[in-house]
Amino acid sequence: MATKEIFNQISPSEFFYRNRDLAGFSNPTRSLYTAVREFVENGLDACDQQGIFPDIHLTIKPVDAEKPDPKPYILTVKDNGPGMESKQIPMAFGTVLYGSKFGLKQARGMFGLGATMAILYGQITTNKPVTVVSSVDGKTQHEYVMMLDIQKNKPVIVKHSAKETNKKGLSVSIVLEGDYSKAGSKIRDYVSQTSLITPYATITFDDPKGDKFSYKRIVDLMPPSPTIIKPHPHGVDVETIRRMIVDTHYQIPTLDNNMIEKVRKELGLAKKNLNFDGIMAKAEKKWSSLSRPVRVIVALMSFLKMDFDKIMKIRIDDIDLAHKHLTYWDFGESKSIMVEMPKSSPYYKQLANTVHGETIATFLTKRFQRVGQATAVKFTEFAGLKAEKRIGSLSNDELVQLSDSLQKYEEFLAPDPSCLAPLGEEPLRKGINEFFNPDFAEVVQRSASAYSGFPFIIEMGIAYGGQIPGGKITTYRFANRIPLLYDEGSDVVLKVVNETDWSRYKVKNDAPLVIVSHICSTRIPYKTVGKENVADRPEIEKELRLALLFLARKLSAYMSKKGLAEIEKKRSNLYQKYLPLISQFATELAGKNKEPDYKKLIKDLNMNVETQK
Amino acid sequence: MSKPKSKTEKIAAAKRDSLLDLLKTEGSKIYTDLDGGQFPHLYVPSRSVRNIVYDKKLRQYILGKAAGLRSSKNMAQLRSFTQLIWLAFFAKRLVNEKKSSTLRDIYYSSQAFEMDFEDQPESDNIIMDLEAVLARPREDFHIFPEERSSVFGDLTIEYTVPGYEGRRVNLSDHPDGYLIGPSLSSAELVDTSAELVIAIEKGGLFTRFVEEKVDKKFKAIIIDTTGQAPRSTRYLLKRLRDQMKIPVVILTDGDVYGEHIAMVIKSGSANAAHLRELTVPDAKWIGVWASDIEKYKLPTIPMTESDIKRIYDLQKDPRYQEGIWKKELEVFLKIKRKAELEAFSKYGLTNITDKYLPEKLELAKSL
Repeated sequence: MATKEIFNQISPSEFFYRNRDLAGFSNPTRSLYTAVREFVENGLDACDQQGIFPDIHLTIKPVDAEKPDPKPYILTVKDNGPGMESKQIPMAFGTVLYGSKFGLKQARGMFGLGATMAILYGQITTNKPVTVVSSVDGKTQHEYVMMLDIQKNKPVIVKHSAKETNKKGLSVSIVLEGDYSKAGSKIRDYVSQTSLITPYATITFDDPKGDKFSYKRIVDLMPPSPTIIKPHPHGVDVETIRRMIVDTHYQIPTLDNNMIEKVRKELGLAKKNLNFDGIMAKAEKKWSSLSRPVRVIVALMSFLKMDFDKIMKIRIDDIDLAHKHLTYWDFGESKSIMVEMPKSSPYYKQLANTVHGETIATFLTKRFQRVGQATAVKFTEFAGLKAEKRIGSLSNDELVQLSDSLQKYEEFLAPDPSCLAPLGEEPLRKGINEFFNPDFAEVVQRSASAYSGFPFIIEMGIAYGGQIPGGKITTYRFANRIPLLYDEGSDVVLKVVNETDWSRYKVKNDAPLVIVSHICSTRIPYKTVGKENVADRPEIEKELRLALLFLARKLSAYMSKKGLAEIEKKRSNLYQKYLPLISQFATELAGKNKEPDYKKLIKDLNMNVETQK
Repeated sequence: MSKPKSKTEKIAAAKRDSLLDLLKTEGSKIYTDLDGGQFPHLYVPSRSVRNIVYDKKLRQYILGKAAGLRSSKNMAQLRSFTQLIWLAFFAKRLVNEKKSSTLRDIYYSSQAFEMDFEDQPESDNIIMDLEAVLARPREDFHIFPEERSSVFGDLTIEYTVPGYEGRRVNLSDHPDGYLIGPSLSSAELVDTSAELVIAIEKGGLFTRFVEEKVDKKFKAIIIDTTGQAPRSTRYLLKRLRDQMKIPVVILTDGDVYGEHIAMVIKSGSANAAHLRELTVPDAKWIGVWASDIEKYKLPTIPMTESDIKRIYDLQKDPRYQEGIWKKELEVFLKIKRKAELEAFSKYGLTNITDKYLPEKLELAKSL
């Protein structure tokens, strides 16, 4: 083609295969954990989007229980979601970069990449296929057994069968190399914390040791589904704008064999060769039935005055509408040639619109959220650009100018938070109460805010006493309903919690205190690709701090009201003192000789006290 | 327990046994909970104002359906739960050993068991809780009030208290009257020739009535309520009415407080809404009415601010919405003056017994 250099093109599958560390598949421990996450989150997302109360069943079974870790495990995740159409399954699970989550709204996973990565990882470590069972109607279920062709990024179907069922949903099963003895505690934490932030879901986990963990649904309320929205002007950079522009206007089609064949076919000249004038006459006749790319080629041909044979020997280099020049490279003569494009030609307008696309004002109102005509015009004045200028005609400098101005202009409305799906105060409160069984719990949901054009909402809960063990303040971090378990040291939530002077709120640093933080955003500013800690953007930090201070004040009021700090110390003493008395009196009242076995109760209490120390 | 000998003793024993059964049932529940590794709990009927309702049929205040859970699992309730169980335990001992006790006694007795009552009101409160749980007055478990009022007249009683079992006494034998204490409260009423009970608000008038032989002239048993009648006195009045079938009339000062003393005897107090054994629904208030003040031209005292406020308060009470109760409140409010029972002395010391009482008793027949 254009250059003599040879690039080795690699498929997306191959790229991810080579860079699997990035996606969290660096070793058997981390990989097992990441695979669990990816499948569970896909299941939850699928149910959320359809408003179905999720019922997720996770099973991890060793292929050979006797073997020492790391060893192959069978990982199965089954959901009760909408399932997936049979014909989509091979593409969805057998290719990388196929997914339905490309829109801008809050979801747990992004792009559906992770699941395929897990499948890929399973295949390269055990050479076993993935099994996908799906039913969309609750009547027929399709089972696919597939391998991935890594180089071609294509699925290879080993087996496909269909049979009757009575349940909707999707089940994915892979065999992968894992280390449960090391990953187990993180996976169990992940499952239990997921149940805390997803109190409307039932999650069960059968672990390789035969233990069953079951978390029942505790609220009957589903948070409303987020809607897909356009980006906010503050949330785009130069590259994004460039891509958006490419999306909006029509690209000049490449002049390859396929394209020429298409043109000939549409003109009814597949088998027939006409000269230039003949082609033009034919095109004029058939114009209304021609497709857009073909019209563009015809327009080009009109200026080049070439027939099919000639046009196949050139490459279009530049269409300079301002100077009405068309530049091409002639392979035969090995030189660059420039021709005029008379503005009077009817084909000029066709080409100009295609190349230049919409005006800046239209581009802003149509492609961004909450930008109206008036705002768009005002903005172009601010940016020093003309509102009627077509975006395709922007120079590189003007593009940067546009992008910078979009960031700087402060008159845009705040980002639309309807794309967010916070859990809600009541479900969060119930989740916390159920999970920690505290003496005191309070939750708060801040109103929506934004950083760099991305809307976000902070939800936070605080719980004190009850069955919470003391020793240190524990912070549970969630982002878009995913628990964040690794790398907590550098997280912004931890920073805010640690910077709080708890003594001001009548709480000691070793109090039985739990903080649950949930950040919802269309884009969580993770610090690392591992997506386990959130960067300290000032806007997010401020909202977190306001939420935490609000809760701390509530806790403080509770503490002073109850004088609980002191009572805490007396707690076990009180039971030690009163239970034997109650027992003595009850024995005499009941007319018994032997005292009841109340010591069990005291023993249980003592255990609590010890763990608190 | 010793075998009951006489009929009165049998009745007393039956009453005691049913209380002991009740205590045993509550105790067994707690015992079973503890033995099964559970924190025991109780439901205590709520005595808060919001749970006190007026029952038109019973014509008294009773408790609504609200009850509070008192659990030993709740740290804040552990102490009061223990106190309640201790009190039940202590009551059982009192009943078994036939010992009597007072509210103040209970407060001090608790200290031997380290029950940590902060003050006597706290222990009094627990006593009321136990009354509400068992639906029995504290006199049943031998806790008696300290105020004592007196009774005089031809009434023979038989003691059931230890050391006096079977002994009989006639209450007209001592002119100062007999104290209505634990022994009298637990005694059985055996015989009487009286046809009337006169409850009178003041000790001085009680003595005058004895001197003037009101008991003989009117075939009456005279009871000094010493102001607001103590519960043991109201209980005795009820027994005289129910067991001996003697009608009860009430004579009080001619003021709003006097009217309410009569009302409490008749239909109880909000304070004791958890008990139903303390009212004499057909007792009659015969005076001194507001309308008597003018009729008998009694010397009067002006009402104070708080007297008037009290009238407005009582006008909201459902029991004061009809009959003389309503009418007299209105007259009090109109004349804004009050008269004491002693006011009759202006017309001679015996004016009240010779003239006023017979007239009012005659009038009472038509009430």
